[in-house]
Amino acid sequence: MSANGASVDVLKCSNCGALDAGPREICPTCHEAALQPHAVPGDGALMSWTMIRRPPAAFRAEGAYAVAVVQLDAGVKVTGRLGTPDEACGPGTRVALAEKKNGVPVFRWA
Amino acid sequence: MRDVAITGIGSTVFGKHDGRGPESLAAEAANAALKRAGVDRKEIGAVYLGNFIAGPLSGQEVLAGIIADELGLENIPCTKVEGACASGGIAFRHAVLAVGAGLCDAALVVGVEKMTHASGGQVTQALNCAMDNRSDGPSGLTFPGLFGLAWRIHAAKYGTTRDEVSAVVIKNKANGLKNPLAQLGANLSLDVIRQSQPIADPIQLYDCCPVSDGAAAVVVVARDRAANAPDLPIDILASIQTRGSPRIAGHEDIVSFEATVKAAERAYAAAGLSAKDIDFVELHDCFSMAEIIDSEDLGLVPRGMGAKWAAEGRTRVGGSIPINPSGGLLAKGHPVGATGVGQLYEAVQQLRGLHPNQVKDASIGMTHNLGGAGIACTVSILRRPDA
Repeated sequence: MSANGASVDVLKCSNCGALDAGPREICPTCHEAALQPHAVPGDGALMSWTMIRRPPAAFRAEGAYAVAVVQLDAGVKVTGRLGTPDEACGPGTRVALAEKKNGVPVFRWA
Repeated sequence: MRDVAITGIGSTVFGKHDGRGPESLAAEAANAALKRAGVDRKEIGAVYLGNFIAGPLSGQEVLAGIIADELGLENIPCTKVEGACASGGIAFRHAVLAVGAGLCDAALVVGVEKMTHASGGQVTQALNCAMDNRSDGPSGLTFPGLFGLAWRIHAAKYGTTRDEVSAVVIKNKANGLKNPLAQLGANLSLDVIRQSQPIADPIQLYDCCPVSDGAAAVVVVARDRAANAPDLPIDILASIQTRGSPRIAGHEDIVSFEATVKAAERAYAAAGLSAKDIDFVELHDCFSMAEIIDSEDLGLVPRGMGAKWAAEGRTRVGGSIPINPSGGLLAKGHPVGATGVGQLYEAVQQLRGLHPNQVKDASIGMTHNLGGAGIACTVSILRRPDA
């Protein structure tokens, strides 16, 4: 658990222990269909983010939102949202998980 | 594998073709290519057709067989090929393999897409089929967003500025004005680009390739069957295909696509050449930032310098490495399945000395076609035979 208790759902192989951001069916390391849901702390560093101003139809009602790729301290990279988009945020900015929205991790500036 | 060459080529204008479906566009380009192939159409032993979304947008699949019927070909294998935006390049590679391996002496390659009749929402939804919808889709990522993510890293790592990226847009749109096949060329200024609508910050309107309709075709023949071709046959030195991560977070470094890097290495090795031998490239500029990344991944520009070289004029016709003299996807638009074959058409015209935006003494050309979020890539190297 991270400092605020919030965790990101990833996958862990019950055969070899490898972690993967998922979703996927087969472990990329040992090739067994043994990936299980696994929670890791939501602390990490921003790889990058972008403000989507022309969303796909399914997301239109939300207005503009920020998508981010985060390198979690736990050793996996995940795609999610940045709840605190700010031009001062950039590659390397420390972030933490704020909440999960429809299964998608939403990070905030830590 | 025996030597293979491109003989006949054909292309529609890339742009808006109201009232014409994908069959009509494909038939036009393919028939033009067959008429200049230098072999009787009875000798076409295979058809490979690249197309991405004729099913969702036009309700039409099985296009390879439909086109073969239109063209009066024999009972030969006709294969529709899909690799998102790399569909055309992948179709080409399979024709090269079929002829190179001796399965047939001649094969037809067609790429086609029809998109302008559909609504923006329908097109976006169909294009998003190229994303990994288990992981990237749920976050609301879009293709402009992917390159917005990459741009921010490129700026942080290499100091790339808005105006430097704009140099790519200005160059390609200006190149497009010289190309009758490009309907979306324009004279743009740094100011106009800077003030345009934000799409996926920092990506703005003019950083994005427009939607387009179009078809292009080439005929691949065994080199020793190319003697009767009416136009100079062009040697195919390499046609390489690779895969990369389906999803954005799967790329080690979001400012580089490993599928491109690997495809380029293998293409140079297969051709016995290196980056300095390439006289021009038609590469996958689906977005301005994509050209920047592609040029570095292909080894044509030093890592990190893609935007700066454009700003310095080094990637113009007459510069160190002309990139997209045709205007690229930014000026031709991106009729998805057609693009990879359209690039080959443009490259052949350059190597024949017939291009409206001619690179002086062009002898060796490269094409690069990249699908989805870097999931599929093809790189081809072509050479004029007397080079």
